[in-house]
Amino acid sequence: MMTERISRLKDFFFNRSHHYVRRTPESLGIDRLCEEYAAKGMPAAERAASMLETLLKEECPFIFEGELIVATRTITSVPSLFTEQEWKALKAEHYLHENGMLSNISPDYGSILKEGLEARKQSFASLAERSDGEEKIFASSVVRSLEALQHLIRKYASCAVQMKDDELAAVLHNVCTRGAGSFREALQLLRFVHYGLWESGCYHNTLGRFDQYIFPYYQSDIEQGHLTKDEAYELILSFFLSCNKDSDLYPGMQQGDNGQSLVLGGRDKSGKSLFNEVSQMCLEASYDLNLIDPKINLRVDSKTPLEVFKLGAKLTRRGLGFPQYDNDDVVIPGLMKLGYSEEDATDYVVAACWEFIIPGKAMDIVNIGALSLAGAVSESVDQLDRFESFDDYYAWLEEDIRRRCIALSKQFTNLYIAPAPLYSAFMDGTLERAKDITLGGKYNNFGIHGTGIATAVDSLAAIRKNIFEDKTMTVEEMREALDSGFEGHEATYRKLRFESPKMGRDDDYADSLATRLLDSFAKGLEGLKNERGGIFRAGTGTAMYYISHATGLKATPDGRKAGEVMPANYSPSMFIKHNGPVSVMKSFAKPSLENVINGGPLTIELDDTVFRNEENVEKLAMLIRSYIAMGGHQLQLNTLNKEKLLDAKVHPEDHRNLIVRVWGWSGYFVELDECYQDHVINRIKYSL
Amino acid sequence: MVIFADVTTCSMKQGLVFNIEEFAINDGPGIRKTVFLKGCPLRCVWCHNPEGLSGEPQIMHGHDGDEVCGRLVSSDELAELLIKDKDFFQMNGGGVTFTGGEPTRQADFLMEVLAILKGKVHTAIETSGFCAEDVFRKILELTDYVLFDIKAVDNDIHRKYTGVDNTLILRNFKTLSFSGKPFVARIPLIPGVNDSLEAMMAVRDLVEGAPGLERVEILRYHKTAGAKYHMVDREYDPPFDTDAVPEIHDVFKHCIIL
Repeated sequence: MMTERISRLKDFFFNRSHHYVRRTPESLGIDRLCEEYAAKGMPAAERAASMLETLLKEECPFIFEGELIVATRTITSVPSLFTEQEWKALKAEHYLHENGMLSNISPDYGSILKEGLEARKQSFASLAERSDGEEKIFASSVVRSLEALQHLIRKYASCAVQMKDDELAAVLHNVCTRGAGSFREALQLLRFVHYGLWESGCYHNTLGRFDQYIFPYYQSDIEQGHLTKDEAYELILSFFLSCNKDSDLYPGMQQGDNGQSLVLGGRDKSGKSLFNEVSQMCLEASYDLNLIDPKINLRVDSKTPLEVFKLGAKLTRRGLGFPQYDNDDVVIPGLMKLGYSEEDATDYVVAACWEFIIPGKAMDIVNIGALSLAGAVSESVDQLDRFESFDDYYAWLEEDIRRRCIALSKQFTNLYIAPAPLYSAFMDGTLERAKDITLGGKYNNFGIHGTGIATAVDSLAAIRKNIFEDKTMTVEEMREALDSGFEGHEATYRKLRFESPKMGRDDDYADSLATRLLDSFAKGLEGLKNERGGIFRAGTGTAMYYISHATGLKATPDGRKAGEVMPANYSPSMFIKHNGPVSVMKSFAKPSLENVINGGPLTIELDDTVFRNEENVEKLAMLIRSYIAMGGHQLQLNTLNKEKLLDAKVHPEDHRNLIVRVWGWSGYFVELDECYQDHVINRIKYSL
Repeated sequence: MVIFADVTTCSMKQGLVFNIEEFAINDGPGIRKTVFLKGCPLRCVWCHNPEGLSGEPQIMHGHDGDEVCGRLVSSDELAELLIKDKDFFQMNGGGVTFTGGEPTRQADFLMEVLAILKGKVHTAIETSGFCAEDVFRKILELTDYVLFDIKAVDNDIHRKYTGVDNTLILRNFKTLSFSGKPFVARIPLIPGVNDSLEAMMAVRDLVEGAPGLERVEILRYHKTAGAKYHMVDREYDPPFDTDAVPEIHDVFKHCIIL
């Protein structure tokens, strides 16, 4: 249940009543610090520390009435560490991932909550003392960054004292130096660490296995009688609310794409379920709060009780586009196959969207690039007359995919990521290596999305059936139809679009090709090394490529017209005739998903009329459990009401609260660009 | 909608199916697949599946142009398709529900399919109960579960709004009731037609006490019932106030409102 306090605060933040505290870097005169840095020839790590010091010095503490977990951002953006010329030079010399700043990994929150900021700072201070050169610069930058964060906490503590909130003042005083001594302190320290990461310019800052690293504090406080369950619940609501206060300032492709994903449940190495009271409270808190952050991932497996799925299904009913379900039975062995240790694989969390990462340990860049599988099949049509049989053709295609993978892998060389001394403080091994986390971690793998999977599979099915098996279409005919965008080829168009086998109908003809194609994609990347010694991971996500890869793609053999959209992530083509969600799940669970475990969910849209009563929520829970039992790796369910979405396009002012899942994240519908709005509207499928 | 290959020669009975719906969660226990058999002897004025009325294939004007509604399928072909989901049904306490139209209208076909599925897949029929008594008894033996529609106990009302006499229906209901077979009594609740307290009490007197009765389900009338009439070139002009909200008299021991 929402408390009166939280309802009031939610309204306060949702109505942007706290925006009056915001100032731009320009208004503070700190927007061009990079020029000073450049003039001094300051090393990048020192710039990062200097910038964070300046920002956190300029930050004003604001404690809004009733807040239990504090820290609100007042500076609207993080100024650049480099001048435009410097960026240009960096770009000329290096491969920059996205905007060049660290993103989309997960810190080791558990250790920092236990150890505290002061102890961590001292460790790096002694490293700074005993080292020199680059290492000294790195260690000192970490120390300065941690000190800057402590400085901010001290300011908040003074503010609490002035407001005569003794309890809060004590919490802030403690977390400024020590590890968390209570549940509330753990959440408050977590808030500051997370806040610091955002303010240091890093982005897609995930929240990891929240229920696991927070649980010991909960358990201890409850056992000692320092905390009631209701109090704990209100604190979780407070922390969740804090993730929504400044989120409009976080960088992302679209508003809402901020990567604040939080993982619940899952198992340990022995297979024991780790779903606990905090996990349950989080699912309930997310339901009660009804806001887009944090984005919940629920780790499950074939042994997860139906009750857990029911809690998830109830949250699904909210229409927030989460929880996303991740299947331990597939993900853990899949990650181990890629070389992650059993212990690390078992501890996996989810990056901004769906990529599986190891908290504290991995410096993986899980979304470094994408291979258009639809594009590969589309271009292969020109080769078709060379082959007598489909198998001969497919063997060539597999080699071609390998060639494409090799070419793609070579694009990511001489990578540069701006140093992240604060983030480095919260990652394992940085102290021992005396190196910034951006220079590498225990794992340094790159993830490649395979886009247009269904389009590619359906195209292969159409080629196999019409050209090689039934021989009812010549290569020439297909090529002409595709080149002309089906203009004047109505019969061919209908045959390809409506009468050929499609993935998602529980039809082995198409589904077996999906198995082959995904294996070929995984094989294409197998054995390739990146410059950091890491490997390439194949995945089934699309990110925004479902729009960009479709835009330039001509008509495809599945009957898709030129420019027509492709499905997001791992989903059936948007124009096929569905039998229903059960067939879709059966089809999509057939491939060996362990081999393409970078991440990318099967996405199913449900009309919100599905949830007419509690009984139906339970049946939805059963459906989700079935997909997990069938061996699906990841599932995203969205509930939508088409009329509402259409109305929201026309009257955005009436639908400010309307939330939809876009690709790996949920956002406010009215804040999306039109192409994404339309895509969401067009993918509504199952109603009852 | 599953499209079947046209069946030309086959020793098995053939049936006319106009839809198969997956993840059916309001048609019996668990997660089910609902098979719609074409053709119905009743003409309920609130019917929301007008394409199920005629026992012949017909053209339906859909979003993607005209399509034939109703495909011939042999009983073994249909059974095979349904058995494919056996594990899924078992996992989710579900099975297959045959509805329509009126599924007993294609009794021979239905019985053949039910016979193949027996022991493999949990089956249910949703029926108006309007069929010959001996046929009803045979079907009852072959199926695991029944959703029995009760439109009106009053024969005048029944005749007026469904076009048929309910004597046979009430007899078949008695057969069901005596059989002990688990069943649900379903009431389509139509404003001004059968939503009076008196009408509900009559249904209560009829159904309560039957050993197999699991619960009563009240299905509230919704205006969208008329959505598909233009697709089959029919006019939707029900003789009751479609804007009225039906009165709900929950006089039953165990009832859910859908």
